[in-house]
Amino acid sequence: MRRVLPGFLLALWVGFALAQSNLAPGFTKLAPNTTIALMPADVELFEISAGGIGEPRADWTAAATKNIMADLRTRKVKLGARATEITGEQDETVEALNNLHGAVSRAIVVHHFGGLKLPTKDGKLDWTLGPDVAKLREKSGADYALFTWVRDSYASSERKAMMVVGALFGVGMTGGTQQAYASLVDLRTGQVVWFNRIFRGTGDLREPEPAKETLDALLTGFPL
Amino acid sequence: MQRRPFLLGCGCLAFAAAAGVRADEYDYQVPPRFTRPDPGTDEGGLWAFMDREEQRLKRSSFLIRDPALNKYVTGIACGLAGEHCPEMRVYIMRTPYFNASMAPNGMMQVWSGLLVRMQNEAQLAAVLGHEIGHYLQRDSVEGLRDAKNRSSFGLIVGMALGVVAGGTAGSLAQLGILASGMAYGRDQERMADKIGVALMARNGYAPAEAGRVWGQLLDEMEGAKAAGEDVSSTDILFASHPPAEERKEVLAEAAKRDWPGATRTGTDEYRAALAPHRMGFLYDEVRRRRFGESLVLFDRLLKASPRDGQVQYFKGEAYRQRGREGDAKLAIEAYRAALAMDNAPPEAHRSLGTVLRQTAENAEATRAFQRYLELKPDAEDAEIIRSYLTGSQS
Amino acid sequence: MRLKPWLAAAALLALAGCAQMVKVEPGQVTIKEALRLNPTNAWNRFELQFPLSVAPGASEVWTQDGITLDALAFFVGVAEGQTLGSVIPGSNKKLPLFRATMTPGEIVELYEQMVTQDGSAFALTRVAPARFGGQPGFRFEHTITRKSDGVLLKGAGQGAVVKGKLYLAAFTAPSIYYYGRYLPQVEPLLASAEIKAP
Repeated sequence: MRRVLPGFLLALWVGFALAQSNLAPGFTKLAPNTTIALMPADVELFEISAGGIGEPRADWTAAATKNIMADLRTRKVKLGARATEITGEQDETVEALNNLHGAVSRAIVVHHFGGLKLPTKDGKLDWTLGPDVAKLREKSGADYALFTWVRDSYASSERKAMMVVGALFGVGMTGGTQQAYASLVDLRTGQVVWFNRIFRGTGDLREPEPAKETLDALLTGFPL
Repeated sequence: MQRRPFLLGCGCLAFAAAAGVRADEYDYQVPPRFTRPDPGTDEGGLWAFMDREEQRLKRSSFLIRDPALNKYVTGIACGLAGEHCPEMRVYIMRTPYFNASMAPNGMMQVWSGLLVRMQNEAQLAAVLGHEIGHYLQRDSVEGLRDAKNRSSFGLIVGMALGVVAGGTAGSLAQLGILASGMAYGRDQERMADKIGVALMARNGYAPAEAGRVWGQLLDEMEGAKAAGEDVSSTDILFASHPPAEERKEVLAEAAKRDWPGATRTGTDEYRAALAPHRMGFLYDEVRRRRFGESLVLFDRLLKASPRDGQVQYFKGEAYRQRGREGDAKLAIEAYRAALAMDNAPPEAHRSLGTVLRQTAENAEATRAFQRYLELKPDAEDAEIIRSYLTGSQS
Repeated sequence: MRLKPWLAAAALLALAGCAQMVKVEPGQVTIKEALRLNPTNAWNRFELQFPLSVAPGASEVWTQDGITLDALAFFVGVAEGQTLGSVIPGSNKKLPLFRATMTPGEIVELYEQMVTQDGSAFALTRVAPARFGGQPGFRFEHTITRKSDGVLLKGAGQGAVVKGKLYLAAFTAPSIYYYGRYLPQVEPLLASAEIKAP
């Protein structure tokens, strides 16, 4: 499904996509027999109405979450890392770490991959959650945790119709964008050892096959 | 399927009307227990979405988790919901605005700005009963379907993404927008009001308290306007409802009906339940900087409880924070009044000292600060207050 | 639906042309020609044309790991009748005005009003006399529960009123790891401050 990405945003993202390392300094790949805890995927899918507003679609989100988690599980088994999942009611400390991870991810997206580079970082992917991650390690028994976050939107048929009309008048309209990140955290130190993000106008998470393609893109360069 | 719960059977209302007998419009038939809808339906989709929002709400840093308060509010809601009680979960949020909402999956939210404004248990029951009315009528699903067909849905979601309530950000659930009155039509609101009154009466609450809630809000809005303050954010609450004035009148009429045994207001119980939290809620209220509304609220609370030193203190705080010509004097009067009452917080001495310093009454200010330190020697600002006394800065 | 923090991040990126990060090298640096500092390690300085919700209207914001994490905000030379910081977009709050005769307690209330505009919760944990910039002033400690993502921040600040103007520095960072990590760098930095009031 083709979608039109706002030109300047695409240029910004693509422009800065080059040459940014996805790996923390000194980290190249996971040791064999590592255990990775899959954090519950944070996913929201939206339908863009004719008016351009994103309306959350619970059924799409549920499908996408299912597809993502299923694919992640399959992938890990294939690639030889042992999987575990953090499920059930989260306690406050795990929740606080989740929130902190969100803030760290935003910093990475803005300051490492984005245009607001921090000169003191010297281009390195050098961010951490700190040693409090030991609590996640205890809970899961894992050496690393994989976080995934996805926001994706799709044009409704009305919106698509409007886009066609708009194109006739030379008006570009967003058809929907897919933004996602994946982050691998070392649960012994808290260091973000690998991070990747995608931002594009294609992809469809609602069905298993295209969802696999999105995850292929998201997990490109996963250090196994 | 359009529900007509007030008909006691097909055509009965028509028959009764034809016979010149007015059917009892408050004899509300509560629908049977709800089951989870098919996820493929739009209702099912909305339900699932609210489930996930609920998961976020559970983890919110702004959720008030105190078991006693939760038990109290849930108890009231459960009594009103009757056999639907097991379908409900109540979440109390620290948000200083007047709001309560109930989502189609049974998730109920009550904001602290609402709790601080209720005079008694019956008033809280009126608001919760109204929201339960929407829930029992499946109004939010109808509203969603309806709204999708109207361009205003975009506005609703856009507002939900953080533009309302003074620009506060938060999840959709926290704003309670989808399930609140925003998407409801006037007929649905009237129905919910009627159901709310019926449920109140069945639980023994005095229905007259329902109209009072709206009267109180109207007074606050008047206070804001008189003070030249922007009332646009509160206006939003009134936008899609029948106007507040009309609701107050209709509910007052409903109260005039005969409600045998429905006389309880629960003023003491309400005060007791709110007491451990009220200081924090009043603090949040003043911090909103909508002093016209706050002062009307405080005066109302004082009218009901003239020796409430805590409220009197916050009245002083409102004047002090507003800081207009003449406000310093009003603040000093308020703090002095508070200190003569039963339960003024030690902070009243501190604030009195602060304002007296402004008006150059330094000896008195010093005495006030000293009194504060005597009462609260380990206060977080004890060190700086001590430095005012010695006149020394390091 | 934690979309808002991401919209904010996207907005930041889109406006990259209107903002940049500049390196602050160790050695003397002066903010707005009035607050001199002597950092002993490098920082990143944020130059912005629009208000960041972390410290809207600050003269400068410094950071080590990024403004969603640690932020050291400087407010230099706030004059009588001005607000401390500025109103954030979407807020219709009218911020209180600074008066040169304010107590430190009242000045901290100005700070509280500025940081709670977005619905965040603020709790003051300490206010004490302290020297700042070579002048008698105050220090304060607090926590902020950030509304947009629920992160608990810890904060410490210092301030002084000199010749009728307010000079204030406030450091905030997540209570998990970040506050403890950077406070040992922030405290000597603020201790090195000199107010060169005109």
